[in-house]
Amino acid sequence: MIQSFITMNGYGLFVWLSFALTFLACVMIYYKTYKTLKKYEKDFAKELNKLSESERKLVLEKSKIASQVLASYNKSI
Amino acid sequence: MFKFFEPSKIFQVTSKAPKYVLFLFIIVFSIGLIEALILSPEDYKQSHAVRIMYVHVPAAWISLGIFSSITFLSITGFIFKNKNFFLIAKSLAPSGFVFNIIALVTGAIWGKPTWGTWWAWDARITSMLILCLFYAMYLISWRIYENEEKVFKVTTFITILGVINVPIIKYSVDWWNTLHQPASIKLDGGSSIHSSMLLPLMLMLLVLLLYSALILLMKYKTEIIRIKKKNIKRI
Repeated sequence: MIQSFITMNGYGLFVWLSFALTFLACVMIYYKTYKTLKKYEKDFAKELNKLSESERKLVLEKSKIASQVLASYNKSI
Repeated sequence: MFKFFEPSKIFQVTSKAPKYVLFLFIIVFSIGLIEALILSPEDYKQSHAVRIMYVHVPAAWISLGIFSSITFLSITGFIFKNKNFFLIAKSLAPSGFVFNIIALVTGAIWGKPTWGTWWAWDARITSMLILCLFYAMYLISWRIYENEEKVFKVTTFITILGVINVPIIKYSVDWWNTLHQPASIKLDGGSSIHSSMLLPLMLMLLVLLLYSALILLMKYKTEIIRIKKKNIKRI
C-alpha cells in the first residue's frame, strides 16, 4: 500500500517533484522574508539606541510604530 | 475610508496577525495535503498525475489575482496620491512572482506525462511566461529607481501594461487551439469538475492564499520599518 502511494502508478516522480518544489520555494521565500524582517527590526533598534535618551523618548512617544518595533525586537532577543 | 490604510493601523495588524495566520495555515495545509495526496480519487484518463493540479492551478490563479490586485492598488495609489497603496502592492508582488514560477514549473512537470513534452509554445503557457516577465520588471523597477515619484510612475505603467495580459491568459484556451483544456471551473456555476476533486483544489487554494497573506504581512512590516528607519530623526 505504501509502495503504491509512493509510486502512484508510475506518476510518483512527477507528483512528488511538483509538491516538493512548491514546498521548497515557499519555505525559501518565507525564510528569506522572515530573516529580512528580523534584520530590519534589529537595525531599527540599533538606530534608536544611537539617539540620545531624550530623542529616543520623544521618538517612542510620537511613533506607535517605533515603540511596537522595539517591543517586537526586545521580545525576539 | 483611507484611514483604514494608515501605516500605523496596518502595522498593528501586521504585528499581531501573522501568528494566527500561521496557525490557520498549518491546519489547512495538513488537511489540504491529506485530501490532495491521499483522499482525492485518481483521474480516469490521467491517473495520479492529476494530483499536480492541486498545486499548479491554485498557484496560477493566485499569481493572476495578485497581479490584478497590484494593478488596482497602483492605479488607486497613483490617483489618490497614497503611498501606502504602493507599499501594499510592493509587498504582494514577491508571492505573486513565486506562484507564477511555481505554475510554470509544475505545468512543465505535468506536461511531460500528459502531453509528452515539458514545454510547448502554447497560448496559455506563453501568456503565463509573459506575466512572469512583467512580475520581474515590476520587482526590478523597485530595486533600480531610488526616486519615489519615478518608481510609482514606472511600476504603475508596468502593471497597466501587464494587466492587459490577464484576460488573455484567462481566455487563451477559448480563443486559440491550445494543449490546455478549456476551464473546468466557471463562476456561472457550469463547473465540470467532481466535488471529490473540487474540495482538495479549494483547500489548496486556501493554503496558498494564507501563505500569500503571511508573506504580505511580513513584507509590509519590513517596508514600514525601512521607511521609519530612514526618517528616524524626523519622527
